[in-house]
Amino acid sequence: MTIPLHLGSQRTQTLEQLARLCRNAESGRAPWLAAPSGFAELDASLPGGGWPVGAIAELMSDAVGIGELSLLVPVLSRLARAGRYIACIAPPYLPYAPALAQRGVPLERVLLIQTCSLQQSLWATEQALRCTAVGAVLGWPAYIVDKNVRRLQLAAEAGGSLGILYRPPEAARESSPAALRLRLHALPEGLAVEIQKVRGGRAGLTLRVGVAPTVVA
Amino acid sequence: MNPALWLCIRLPRLAHEASIADAAAEHAAMERLAAWAYQWSSLVSYRLADGPLLWLELAASRSLFGGHAALLANIETGLTQLGYSHACALAPSPTGAALLTQVGEQRCVTTHSQLRSRLESLPLSLLALPPEVLAALHAAGLRRIGQLLGLPAAAIARRFGPAASLYLQRLCGAASDPRPAWRMPATYGARFEFLAEVHDTTAMLFPLRRLLLEFQGYLRGRDCAVLRFTLEFEHYRHAASGVTIGMSAPARDAAQFLLLARERLQSLVLPAAVSALRLQALEFTAASVVQTDFFGSDAQQLQQLQLLLDRLRARLGDQQVHGLSSAADHRPERSWHFVTPQQSTPGPDTRSPARPCTLLHNPRRIEPPVTLLSGPERIESGWWDGGDATRDYYVARAADGARWWVFQDLAEGGWYLQGLWT
Repeated sequence: MTIPLHLGSQRTQTLEQLARLCRNAESGRAPWLAAPSGFAELDASLPGGGWPVGAIAELMSDAVGIGELSLLVPVLSRLARAGRYIACIAPPYLPYAPALAQRGVPLERVLLIQTCSLQQSLWATEQALRCTAVGAVLGWPAYIVDKNVRRLQLAAEAGGSLGILYRPPEAARESSPAALRLRLHALPEGLAVEIQKVRGGRAGLTLRVGVAPTVVA
Repeated sequence: MNPALWLCIRLPRLAHEASIADAAAEHAAMERLAAWAYQWSSLVSYRLADGPLLWLELAASRSLFGGHAALLANIETGLTQLGYSHACALAPSPTGAALLTQVGEQRCVTTHSQLRSRLESLPLSLLALPPEVLAALHAAGLRRIGQLLGLPAAAIARRFGPAASLYLQRLCGAASDPRPAWRMPATYGARFEFLAEVHDTTAMLFPLRRLLLEFQGYLRGRDCAVLRFTLEFEHYRHAASGVTIGMSAPARDAAQFLLLARERLQSLVLPAAVSALRLQALEFTAASVVQTDFFGSDAQQLQQLQLLLDRLRARLGDQQVHGLSSAADHRPERSWHFVTPQQSTPGPDTRSPARPCTLLHNPRRIEPPVTLLSGPERIESGWWDGGDATRDYYVARAADGARWWVFQDLAEGGWYLQGLWT
């Protein structure tokens, strides 16, 4: 097979996609290694049955405070208990230590990185994703272009970590190379999760997920 | 006991390559090289007069490094990395090795008989004898070292002086040839002077790499590691400035040092142009026991994490990298604090009602909320430390569907938003 050279900047992207498709076809497995989300409804709709390990997932929440972090707590708890670290890069609000501990996240596995600029945040996100000791990296970039998402995606792949980017709801109007994109809407009880894009799966579903906090003894 | 085996390294352009052609700089460069070479041998010696020469006794260490060929290859690679032109030779006597550095080929001999036969065909002019002695030998019709070695030692001593005779015996390893052993200094300091002032930190990376490679050799030689080292910048019209580069675990890897130094230099604002760079380490610790493939994956993972934390600290600053811990206090704003990563202390207080995942840095005054979902939970605390608080906490629903953790301050009646059920 020949690849036309004039594809220019799209060439790398195309090759990347082809390589991925070949890998998937060969293995016949899900396009990613899954980490169970702890929510049966969500796991059933994600390829492999969970969050994409070694890839980037974007979460676009309608508002702050509708359960967008609680949705991740079970997987963070699981990763941290397995001995991997959780890195929060420049969160807009303080992750509240007693609440995390209450829900079974061992605090000694949590890292909080503050930065002074978007550029620093992206750099720190990439570094953390590349580190094999880190299981999940959470970032809140105010603005990010496709090129950078792709870069983070490669870092997540190299480090075998789950990369979560919280993005503003307006980001849902644009496309993104992230492996998984979820829109989150508030419900009176719980959270509505709309699968906007999922690599190797079916997009368009909306699920109801109960994220009421539970205390882990 | 193994017979001695000496590696001699001739450094023909040491002064020039160490950047400043003066005796002091040459001496300092040789001191750094000796420290670097100490990782291969515990007997290191050097001479600066008549062309810089560095000797390493290798008989004791060759088995450690997989034979002398592998060892020699390692040392030559290291010298090339440091940027020094060099000629190496191996012989059972230091004087013999020094002579062989001047020949084009077959510079490695390991036994006395090999050395003797190698020397025989070489011209007399290679001998480190005074010019008048060389002239006298030439006048006597001698051209090859072999011809001279064939003469009786007493006759040579009588005709050309006892010094020449001793030199020849040392050359063949027949007379003892003691070398002053170089002593490792207790602290490490190295300096690089720029030919012209440097304004940009990226211009320092090249000399810095050499300083760090030499430093790595010193650390290996002493079998120790450092937790921090200092880079000092000298300026012509300004007091010296500097940065300290710290690690979370003892380290002695030049590549790691360079990575951290580069991150730190990137964000550094120099007060003035830099005329010289100085590397200094005053405290040393035992090398970390974590090695790449010996221990389990936990140890490796920890090492990876420490490398990450060091990089983040170097680029973003020490104050930007935290761990989280909870604290035994009922007031939410005092029930957590930042700690050094991995240093979290108390376990969860599972008896308290569920808490929201995120907290505002400071409670924000709000209008009394319309929709209260649950509460109140009375929190009363702090009369003993001045942070007096009597509050009723509720979960409230905001207009956009978000769930807020709010409280009413019972002392003044105001409502505040303190947390979000993210």
